[in-house]
Amino acid sequence: MTSLSTDMNRHHGDEARRPSDPQAEAATDAVIDAVMRVQRRLSWIIWARAVLVSIAAGLITWNVCRLALHVGWFGGEPFAAVTAIIVGCGLLIAMRLRAGTVTLERAALWVEEHGPGHFAIATWVEQWRSSLPRSPLLAAMIAKAAREPLERSNVALTHLARTQLRWPITLVVGALLLAASASRTTSTVERVVDGTGEAAAARTAARATPIGAWRVRITPPAYSGQPSVDLGDVASLRALAGSRIDVVGGGALPDRVLVRALSDTSQPPVRAALRDTAGASNTAWAATVMATSGPLDVRVWRDQFARLLLIEGVADSLPRVTLTAPPRDSVLRTATGSLPLAARLHDDLGLMRAEFEVIVSTGEGEKFTVRTERVASRALGGAREATLQGTLNLASLALGPGDMVHVRAIARDAHPAAGREAGSSETRSFRIARPSEYDSIAVEPAPPPEVDKSLLSQRMLLLLTERLDRKRPQLSKDVLRDESRKLARDQGRLRQAVGDAVFQRLTGEAGGEHSHSADDGHDHGVEAIGGKLALSGVNSQGMLEEGDDSPVIAINKPLLEAYNAMWDAGRALEQSDPHAAIPFMRIALEAIERARAASRLYLRGKPPAVILDLAKIRLAGKDTGSVNSRTARDMLPPTAAAREGRLLAAARLTLRDASAARDSLALLRLESLSDAPAFADALAALLTLYRADSAAVDLTDAFVRARRVLGGITRVPDANWSRGGPP
Amino acid sequence: MTRAHASEPFVFATAQYDSGDWDSAPMVPANVIDAVARYTSLPVAPQGVIVPLASEALYQYPLVYLTGHLPVRFTEKEASVLRRYLQRGGMLFVDDHNHDVDGAFHKTAREEITRVAGPLAPLPNTHVLYRSFFVFDNGPPTTSHEMNGWGDNLVHEHLDAVLIGGRIAVLYSSKDYSSEWSYHPDNKRFQSVDNTKFAVNLVVYALTR
Repeated sequence: MTSLSTDMNRHHGDEARRPSDPQAEAATDAVIDAVMRVQRRLSWIIWARAVLVSIAAGLITWNVCRLALHVGWFGGEPFAAVTAIIVGCGLLIAMRLRAGTVTLERAALWVEEHGPGHFAIATWVEQWRSSLPRSPLLAAMIAKAAREPLERSNVALTHLARTQLRWPITLVVGALLLAASASRTTSTVERVVDGTGEAAAARTAARATPIGAWRVRITPPAYSGQPSVDLGDVASLRALAGSRIDVVGGGALPDRVLVRALSDTSQPPVRAALRDTAGASNTAWAATVMATSGPLDVRVWRDQFARLLLIEGVADSLPRVTLTAPPRDSVLRTATGSLPLAARLHDDLGLMRAEFEVIVSTGEGEKFTVRTERVASRALGGAREATLQGTLNLASLALGPGDMVHVRAIARDAHPAAGREAGSSETRSFRIARPSEYDSIAVEPAPPPEVDKSLLSQRMLLLLTERLDRKRPQLSKDVLRDESRKLARDQGRLRQAVGDAVFQRLTGEAGGEHSHSADDGHDHGVEAIGGKLALSGVNSQGMLEEGDDSPVIAINKPLLEAYNAMWDAGRALEQSDPHAAIPFMRIALEAIERARAASRLYLRGKPPAVILDLAKIRLAGKDTGSVNSRTARDMLPPTAAAREGRLLAAARLTLRDASAARDSLALLRLESLSDAPAFADALAALLTLYRADSAAVDLTDAFVRARRVLGGITRVPDANWSRGGPP
Repeated sequence: MTRAHASEPFVFATAQYDSGDWDSAPMVPANVIDAVARYTSLPVAPQGVIVPLASEALYQYPLVYLTGHLPVRFTEKEASVLRRYLQRGGMLFVDDHNHDVDGAFHKTAREEITRVAGPLAPLPNTHVLYRSFFVFDNGPPTTSHEMNGWGDNLVHEHLDAVLIGGRIAVLYSSKDYSSEWSYHPDNKRFQSVDNTKFAVNLVVYALTR
């Protein structure tokens, strides 16, 4: 190689100025052309590699950005695309700058590497770029020396392209597969984030609201007599079962209106009647749904969008009947006379007719006959409240012993359905007694009152005694004696009662604890002397003296006086001398009056007020306690827990899409109506706030209340101390 | 109504009612306050107050103490205010000063409580009340009057209560704490065991539940 270069240099130096040979010129041009082809192919390989790698990088970046977008790290599909393009272009530029430009000289050197050219080609390329004339001899030598390297370089180029482009192509294909996979992954992520496909659909629909506003009209069934009601653009409503719900909207005709009964979710939704009411100037549509006795979920679909209307169906309740007379069952000795009947009636819509139903059963053993009578039948004309009254003539029923009479009130409303039941009261039963069972139904006469409980007052005894004294001249001796002794016995019983009161007050014991008498051996402070009472022992010291105003004695002293006067009066009456008894009876009455009017004093004194020196006693106790720990609340049942999750999801959704959150809550409310009415009521209150300007209303308290109701947590409003706080 | 704040001191209130002898245990408030101050760092007023049961001032006190010997009959106003007080989170501690299950106070007070708040039911001795500060493993501490055989000659094993919303609204005692705690707090130093610790549990429970 060194010798050839030397030769070339020498020839170049010797023959530089000689005119060029056309044949040699063509040979060397062919070499140059071959080198230029190699240069182009090398450049193509480098570009292709850079482009493929950049595309792969861009695709990978786009996939990552989309995944992050759906997870919620950042938003915007354009952002993902721009990021991918920037990454791809940046990488392309970087690779191109790093690879540099493939010049003719670099291509010649690359060819030289693949054959024994001894740098003849590189030298000739440099020579060719110069403006000097080229030697024919040198050209022939170059053409001969370049033949083999050029042939080998063709094979090397193919190998190079295969090795350099293989992994970028693989990378691009992998990125494309990743993009396809990511597309499916993001839709899965979307479903997971949204919770359910329905929620996502509802959110999308509410966001775009392609269905637009509608007008809802309720037409109750004709029998109810209620007028139609226009509700405007509402998302939920309450309607009587059988009502016709007309939904009228604008825009293109929706694809379908699906109605699903929430009370039986196993049933597939059914299509509701949908008609095009488009006029000449605009487009409109109308759908009709019939309300049932349960909740309905109505969804109006147009393309992929839907709007929700919830219908809370309310059944027409049966009339409520309360039988007020007769108040109870009974057994009658004879079937005579009349029986008053009365009932209170109520219906949610209107009462049409009411009556008393009387069923008479006659017979015994296994042979019975039954007949039904109607009493006091009355048309009520649609009133919601009414009373029904009548009289049952027992004689007209021709009842015999052992017959049974069952009475109840029944009322019917205006519901036209065949087989519609009537509201009825409870039944009262009357039985006509058989002669053989008379004793068993005889009413026990009330026992006579206890003698001691029927005390005549001292005033009454005095009046009776005075009357007896006035009649004394007309009475025989025996009659006078009998009447006088009766009064004496009454006087004696009253005296005994006063005596008990005296003992009770002196000893401070309850009279019912055990009985006392003047001569029972107890030391009550009173002793019996000749049938009369006198204070005795220590208790008598000074107590009976005049001027002794001890509170106890002030009360008991008149009673003692009355007791003793009664004793004297009783003795006179026993002797059939009412006239002599009267002065003692007056004394006794006057003494009782004094005792009753005596002022009552309490002996307990007022204790001193204790004001503690807290600084002195603060934490002076040797024992120490500890504040108890709170116990965790019980877990919610699965159904309630699921509802709580939906409630919380709706609360979060409110911040992003209030209309979708409202629909979710309305659906939750209807589903809760049957088994959690309190929770449904709380949700109704929450939905009321949504209907107002929800952006200006703080819904937090309403959500908190609903959650507490669901969890059975009782909070007392406006409570003080530790039980205060959020309502 | 004035809303009380946690930083305000606890004030022990004794209920004054028209019937009966509501002030039969005048030393109990001072003893309860002494116990609260002695064992806890709760801010507490140095003197109790007497609050008429018919007054809406009742709402300012988280715990109200009611006792007596004589029959109790609430007036309509008293029943109305007390009912509202209990519904709003107040706690009424009723103690039978007779410690007698057949006594007039016992019968009538339970009837009135049933009329105002609902039926009384035995409070389990494992209730958190008995662990709200001091631990009473065997339920309510026995009083000396029970052990002496006074009154109904019974040692009552548990207290009765009306629960509203899971908390004690009315706590009824037949154990006669009114007699047990009715002494001057200065004399507490002569006792080997302080018998007013249970009062601390009552106060802490009323303030934290």
